[in-house]
Amino acid sequence: MKIIDGFVLRPLGEEFLVIGEGISQINFNKMVSLNSSAAYLWQHVEGKEFTVADLADLLTDAYEVDAERALKDAETLAAKWIEAGIVSE
Amino acid sequence: MEKMLKKKYFDVAGHVFTLEMGEGDRLWDDLDNYAPFECVGNGVDAAFSLSLCDDIDVSGKKEMYVSTPVEGDQRIDIYSLDEGYLFEMAPLGDVPVCGFLQVSGDFSMGRLKVLKAKRFCVNNALMLMYAFRTAPLGTLEMHASVTVKDGKGFLFLGRSGTGKSTHSSLWLKNVPGSHLLNDDNPIVRFTDEGARVYGSPWSGKTPCYINENYPVGAFVRINRAPYDAIHRMNLAESFASISSSASGLRAIRSIADGLFATISSIVQSTPCYILDCLPDAAAAIVCSSEVLKNVQGS
Repeated sequence: MKIIDGFVLRPLGEEFLVIGEGISQINFNKMVSLNSSAAYLWQHVEGKEFTVADLADLLTDAYEVDAERALKDAETLAAKWIEAGIVSE
Repeated sequence: MEKMLKKKYFDVAGHVFTLEMGEGDRLWDDLDNYAPFECVGNGVDAAFSLSLCDDIDVSGKKEMYVSTPVEGDQRIDIYSLDEGYLFEMAPLGDVPVCGFLQVSGDFSMGRLKVLKAKRFCVNNALMLMYAFRTAPLGTLEMHASVTVKDGKGFLFLGRSGTGKSTHSSLWLKNVPGSHLLNDDNPIVRFTDEGARVYGSPWSGKTPCYINENYPVGAFVRINRAPYDAIHRMNLAESFASISSSASGLRAIRSIADGLFATISSIVQSTPCYILDCLPDAAAAIVCSSEVLKNVQGS
């Protein structure tokens, strides 16, 4: 999967927002807030093709979490991003 | 014979711009909305300049965004050029394009060719250049109605038709000592002292062109509901609320960065609310009693 063109991660205070800034988002209409671990993943897959397994690896690299749990969290997050229309399958 | 040109200077929210067209152009008599903002041009560095002309250079024209025309709504289509951008505009979705605005890449120089609806095209071109040129300068051109009370400006936001103007008029009738600053397109700037709202020459259908400015008391998003209730929004909601009401072409990086910097500073220092309301007097009472409570003594 891949982040859809025009979606940009921006820090707001202690929070993170993904904002639609592409030409297709001309009438500001999409914004998703991310927690810090989701923002960490986003930064590492920006501009690349990635899989759920890549996300899970990134999670186990950075957090004290076992592989099974990481895979589950990665699946949930990827599904959310696709549903929100900020990532394409 | 060359026709004589006349140039006027205007200062809106501290940004100076110029408009140039033929001295004898009858449109000069039809720009009353700019009169309160006219300023002396000597030695002033203008942020941007617009001139009316018969020819524009559209070499390298490539489609960036072509709107789906909506009957009754104005339309703007955007193209990139070898040098800068081209905006094609029409006052309604179902009429042909009648204004062609060619602007430099930094939005400081604009040339406008008009076929019809001259006043609409000039107003639209100036608003567009203002929003895009000043976005990197801590400035927002907002879609809002602004009412002033106790020396603070309260901005009512919402999509067209949700009742921004109606809510302002309810304050004027029900909140003693309040007055209208602008009914459609005020300017907001973020400074060391916080957010400040300015009147502008653009005010939608209400002729309210006031050259005054006030600290922002609050931003209030209007949401039609079968009851009246108000609550504070969290940071992300506040950001979304202001962003969706600020003009700017976010596909251009300098504009997106500027808008983000300004809006994130504003939402971390200024209260933002959502008001669920009916178009009734109680809405103005519920809203004003809450938002005024929070600005008193500040």
